[in-house]
Amino acid sequence: MPSIKDITTKKELQCESGTNLLTLLLENNVFVDNACNGKGTCGKCRIRLVEGELEISEEDEAKKLTEKERKEGIHLACLSLVKGDCVIQTNVASKKMNVLTDGYIPEFEKDVCEAGYGVAIDIGTTTIAMSMISMKTGEILSEEAGMNGQRLYGQDVLTRITYEIEQGQEAIDKLKEAVITSINEGIKAMCKELGISTEEVMSITVAGNCTMTHMLLGVDARSIGMAPYKPAFLQAQTVNAKEHGIECNKDATLYCLAQVSGFIGGDILAGAYVCDLLHSDKISLFLDIGTNGEMVVSKRGELYSCSCAAGPALEGMNITCGMPALPGAVEKVWVEDGKLCTATIAGEKPKGICGSGILEVVDELIKQEFIKKSGVFVKKKKIEESDWRYNYLVEDEGGPALKLSEGVLVTQKDVRQVQLAKGAILSGFLSLVKRAGITVEDIDEVIIAGQFGSHLSAQALAGVGIIPREVKEKVTYVGNTSKTGAYMALLSHKVKEEMEDLADKITYYELAEIDGYEQLFMECMRF
Amino acid sequence: MDKMELFSEISEAVKEMEDEDVEDLCEKSLEEGIDPTETIREGLIKGMSLVSELYETGEYFLPEVLTASFALNAGLDILKPHIKQEETGAQVKVVIGVVEGDTHDIGKNLVKIMCESVGFEVYDLGRDVPLDDFVNVAKEKNCDFICMSTLMTTTMGGMRTVIDKLKEQGIRDQFKVIIGGGPISQKFADEIGADGYSVDAAAAVKKMKELKGIA
Repeated sequence: MPSIKDITTKKELQCESGTNLLTLLLENNVFVDNACNGKGTCGKCRIRLVEGELEISEEDEAKKLTEKERKEGIHLACLSLVKGDCVIQTNVASKKMNVLTDGYIPEFEKDVCEAGYGVAIDIGTTTIAMSMISMKTGEILSEEAGMNGQRLYGQDVLTRITYEIEQGQEAIDKLKEAVITSINEGIKAMCKELGISTEEVMSITVAGNCTMTHMLLGVDARSIGMAPYKPAFLQAQTVNAKEHGIECNKDATLYCLAQVSGFIGGDILAGAYVCDLLHSDKISLFLDIGTNGEMVVSKRGELYSCSCAAGPALEGMNITCGMPALPGAVEKVWVEDGKLCTATIAGEKPKGICGSGILEVVDELIKQEFIKKSGVFVKKKKIEESDWRYNYLVEDEGGPALKLSEGVLVTQKDVRQVQLAKGAILSGFLSLVKRAGITVEDIDEVIIAGQFGSHLSAQALAGVGIIPREVKEKVTYVGNTSKTGAYMALLSHKVKEEMEDLADKITYYELAEIDGYEQLFMECMRF
Repeated sequence: MDKMELFSEISEAVKEMEDEDVEDLCEKSLEEGIDPTETIREGLIKGMSLVSELYETGEYFLPEVLTASFALNAGLDILKPHIKQEETGAQVKVVIGVVEGDTHDIGKNLVKIMCESVGFEVYDLGRDVPLDDFVNVAKEKNCDFICMSTLMTTTMGGMRTVIDKLKEQGIRDQFKVIIGGGPISQKFADEIGADGYSVDAAAAVKKMKELKGIA
């Protein structure tokens, strides 16, 4: 039986010849970034073949890897089958991420509670953030954040739902187990830090998107992944936490916030509640940016919501030199003395561009007229050789590109990906504005929530046109309102009730069903 | 104006997405007694193939292709009523749709535009299309191609089901099946036994022409 050695994790694995390498690694808990869950389309499950041989699906691999990479022995695990003994190197991403957990907390009346501890959790598709709270004082005693263990089964919700479609109950069980394990790791770490027992955890509240809530409770989420995208439930759920596998007191309750629709979940409900959109006398737009851009418009308390498929570009995926927000990722770019200057995370030599970085970069490239309104790069042959921009314009695989620094390119395809994302969000924004019977000029504030949004400057958001330029000065950031909402619900029954009422008051629109949406989306793709 | 010059102006106007110019020029072609089928072929469709080339090189993107297709259709609306019936001969017929469970149809619409722009007759079933409809319409209309699209991984399986249905009915060989969309790859196409996969709308039409042996 062939043996596979991984020099990164020092694991040695045995399997039948012909086994898919990605499957083998994942089954043995070797983490490989694999956003598309082995479909061969995301190009992220790169490994290096150090010794030996693999059976490679050449044609598909050539689409995702450059000639140079392939010569260096880089392959995609999902397109490789084990042939015989070999030594590989997996590229393990950092385990602990800097997840935004703080944020604005409005004043509210907490229930009287004598003792014990509670946990407030925001379950994101990528990350999980949680706090341990004294039920008596409401004080946040400890905080933890980490990756959602479900990412082994795909980066985005749809990939995970597909896993359920393909594997049925077994997948539902595994997804539940993965997220429960991540939660338990956090709870145990916080208990250890505070010197308390998990037995003292009496109450848990969770805010998450609709799919995450289903998967946490072990409920079939398949219907959310297909039109008409109906979830199994929308109401808030109260269950026994211990019975669901959470390490806590045997009588502890697990409360999951209500959902508005399959694509507007408890996380957004929490945000709308924390920002008190219902009682606002303003016209506000609440926006959470991720793979989906979810938003709620409040017209002095009338609430409208929608969700737009922004795609993964804003998170650095499908971008030629995209990378996670790790040291060496370009996060800022500007022009000085006729040169493009970059700033990277931790000040290291530029290695790639992170999600927020790609927006900053595109914003600057538009300003410097490297990119035209239609999104196309200016033609090298149309500018003078003496123009400072001349040497930055290069060719990559036959298409125009811009060389940001050695080995870091922005290609025409990358700009198109940003256009798709920004077209989706801006068209959602304008559709809701229209539905609410207001104009962009009427908007008093744009509230940006969430981990990713907090890294996006108002300049980049408006410059790239994710939000209309007119509202650039009206942007405020509120941080992780999902966890704040879970925190408030943990401490107050009144808050829970008000949130449940609020869920019924938010009207949801399915964008694809709005007349003229396609045309609007196309218009919104222009810079 | 010389006929060839007029055709080239029409092509240019389609490429530049100037629908009003396309309309004016097409009216003019009728006034001058030029055969509308020739104007369509040498003017409008040539223009759209210029658009397709620009799309392939990355110069144009979805908005430009869509806007240019409006110009194309504006011209077709004027010329088509003047075509004598018997002139529409044997054509390549295509049934197209977004598979059941998915409502994202922008990609499908682009493929439709590209198909029409090379003169294929297209039966568009829309989005969230019940899988049997692909088979039934393909049979009814005697189509050459069944084109299926999806943006979501959750609904990809429907494509396999359609191919299986064709096999069950023993009519798999009567149609070429082309698939596309965000999560689709050549690997998946091979797995389910589709005849072709293409990465975008322009490539889809190329693939179809290749399969039909049309230059």
